[in-house]
Amino acid sequence: MRRKNAFRWAALPLAATLILVLSGCSSYEFSRGFLPGEPGVTNHTDMIVNFWNGSWIVLWAVGLIAWGLMFYAVIVYRRRKGDNTMPPQMRYNNPIEALFTVVPLVLVIGFFAFTADTMEKIERPVASDINIQVIGKQWSWDFNYLDNNVYETGIQSQFDGELGSEAALPTLYLPVNTSVKIELKSRDVVHSFWVIDFLYKKDTFPGKTNYMYFTPQREGTYKGKCAELCGEYHSMMLFNVKVVSRAEFDSQMAALAAKGNTGLLDDSYDRNQNLPGNGSGSKG
Amino acid sequence: MATATKTAPSASMQKKSKGRIVVDWLTTTDHKKIGYLYLITSFIYFLIAGVMALVIRAQLAAPGLEIVQTKEQYNQLFTMHGTIMLLMFATPLFAAFANILMPVQIGAPDVAFPRLNAVAYWFYSFGSFIAVAGFFTPQGAASFGWFAYAPLSSATFSPGLGGDLWVFGLALSGFGTIMGGVNFITTILTMRAPGMTMFRMPIFTWNTLVTSILVIMCFPPLAAALFALGADRRLDAHIFDPANGGPMLWQHLFWFFGHPEVYILALPFFGIVSEIFPVFSRKPIFGYKTLVFATIAIAALSMTVWAHHMYVTGGVLLPFFAFTTMLIAVPTGVKIFNWIGTMWKGSISYETPMLYSLGFLTTFIFGGLTGVILASPTLDFHLSDSYFVVAHFHYVVFGTVVFAMFAGIYFWYPKMTGKMLNERLGKIQFWLLFVGFHATFLIQHWLGVIGMPRRYATYLPEDGFAWMNLVSTAGSAFLAISILPFLWNIYITYKRGVKTTLNDPWGYGRSLEWATESPFPRHNFTSMPRVRSESPAFDLNHPEYAAPEAKADTKKKG
Repeated sequence: MRRKNAFRWAALPLAATLILVLSGCSSYEFSRGFLPGEPGVTNHTDMIVNFWNGSWIVLWAVGLIAWGLMFYAVIVYRRRKGDNTMPPQMRYNNPIEALFTVVPLVLVIGFFAFTADTMEKIERPVASDINIQVIGKQWSWDFNYLDNNVYETGIQSQFDGELGSEAALPTLYLPVNTSVKIELKSRDVVHSFWVIDFLYKKDTFPGKTNYMYFTPQREGTYKGKCAELCGEYHSMMLFNVKVVSRAEFDSQMAALAAKGNTGLLDDSYDRNQNLPGNGSGSKG
Repeated sequence: MATATKTAPSASMQKKSKGRIVVDWLTTTDHKKIGYLYLITSFIYFLIAGVMALVIRAQLAAPGLEIVQTKEQYNQLFTMHGTIMLLMFATPLFAAFANILMPVQIGAPDVAFPRLNAVAYWFYSFGSFIAVAGFFTPQGAASFGWFAYAPLSSATFSPGLGGDLWVFGLALSGFGTIMGGVNFITTILTMRAPGMTMFRMPIFTWNTLVTSILVIMCFPPLAAALFALGADRRLDAHIFDPANGGPMLWQHLFWFFGHPEVYILALPFFGIVSEIFPVFSRKPIFGYKTLVFATIAIAALSMTVWAHHMYVTGGVLLPFFAFTTMLIAVPTGVKIFNWIGTMWKGSISYETPMLYSLGFLTTFIFGGLTGVILASPTLDFHLSDSYFVVAHFHYVVFGTVVFAMFAGIYFWYPKMTGKMLNERLGKIQFWLLFVGFHATFLIQHWLGVIGMPRRYATYLPEDGFAWMNLVSTAGSAFLAISILPFLWNIYITYKRGVKTTLNDPWGYGRSLEWATESPFPRHNFTSMPRVRSESPAFDLNHPEYAAPEAKADTKKKG
């Protein structure tokens, strides 16, 4: 019995150390709380990383107190061999109960205050310098560059188990240090537009338009994935986001126009117009 | 002490033909037998869905694997894994424990409506079979995820009989759950033994009451939503048509059920560990009334938080749902500290039920921490629909349901069968399960943080998810192995387990089930002790340590 207790003490720190060692994590990754990306990917990410780290510090403190009290009780108050006495039959202790009700309440209110502040900053509509429409469809993405009147249409990932399939994914280009407004729509079922390093996702709904506002601040290529189950090839609904200089962005737009991708892909491709019982047949 | 005492002669002691036994079980209205039916059926579904989970984990062990032939089949596997685990395993497992124990704990001979009780079980049983039977149709079972988001769940995007069977099977099974809830509420309110006031009910019975109230509040909306979805699929109705905001309507209806549902899964199992901590700490539960009010507070709040599953839909009032969700952490924390308070300065021994309860507490604390993180939209925007969520809900649901289920089975097995399960095998199983569980799910938090979405049939080598997935898959094998000692334990106990002749084989049982014979007699009690506190059996067996109310009562009576 004794040895098992000792083992249990060791289990959590051991697991934590193992994870740290196995992941080969650097102090840099640790300082971001393992969140992906670099500092300043968008104008929101640094704030999110700080909030994430702060929250975890408080939560680990609460957790360690709870686990600590529990393991302390488990070890110190274990029944010794030959001990037949009954412990005191304590039923209530109002001050302590009040304490562990009020302290969490205060922590929660504080946590909410920071949450309310940060999420308002993330969700607030701002004046944008560039407007893009992102349309989810089974199982890829269409991008309408509203200001440039060009579009890009994607097909699902052709991943066959080998490296290098990412090059063929549809790519959304964004000019660096430019305030972006993205309109999110869907042609069929619900999808979710998640650019991982931006630490943000939002659903694309049929029949409803969503918006996201941000400023990309760091040039680079970022992975994007559909995060809402959308059918068989959900896991193949991948894309890239390339944050590039304004000049390169303009040349990409020109390339799209040269390819003949002028105009915008509109709602006439929405498959929900053809639901059974819509009378689409008779309207012809 | 091993000499057999004379048991009361009864009809059940006579040798019965096999056919007679089958008819007995099929036609029973005895709450205990119905409870055992629930327990056995739900455990079989647990094993089935567990095998599905192993296939899912095998498929994800490395990028680009094709363990399952098509991604559609993969979608069917996780859809049915979730559906079975929540609605065919965990929810009926509540009905199992409530049926077996609650009437005994309040000193009643049966539930209020025994025949309704039987109907409820058969609705659940047939409904679940119908939903799972999709696997036997040509296109396979439902594949739109257990929350069946519109319009993916429509006949246009998910044709096939499997989806229809899923919708109508769950509706039928849901009616069984509602009937169970009605039955439990009526029983608790009207059939308590003399002296058993509301504030003397065991915590498990309290939690059964509160859970049943949640059931009758949130299962009817689910039934309505399922029938509406069925009408869309079969009758070309347009209830969840995107043209009239159907996708958001479905999400609201579904999560209005879906969030209270997770508390329907949690509360009864909180009740189980609340029964176990006092017995093996030799102390009364710490802060009984606080615990009851915390349960009520959790249940009340749980009806107001459903849209925290919908932060990224861009269509819900974020501050409201964030605040109510965070508030739930307060009563939940109160419960955790009450359990610790129960052990504090106790005299703790580590029989298998206690070990499992501690395993629950260790796991649940971490699930609570990640729950607070997810309550914040700022952080949830990144984590929603990622493996962080998968890890979080396995910590809270597996940590609660499965750990407390095994705790409860080991704890009450002598009451159910008259035999104790083997302790050594129980402890081996606990450590396999504990290590296997954490190896499988702890790493998934990091997977989610670095960007792995849930419900992905595979991932790219460039994603860098491979080694973490491999760890998780290896852990799942460990977890699966832990079931073997349990099945072996059941078998050897059946074959050569020693009958216990004690009413209370653990020695410090507190609630009424420990004051009657093992196994339970036909109508639960041949005599009933006085109920003068929340621990009548303990007051009876340890009068010198009895609750003050019970002592005062004895003195008065002289």
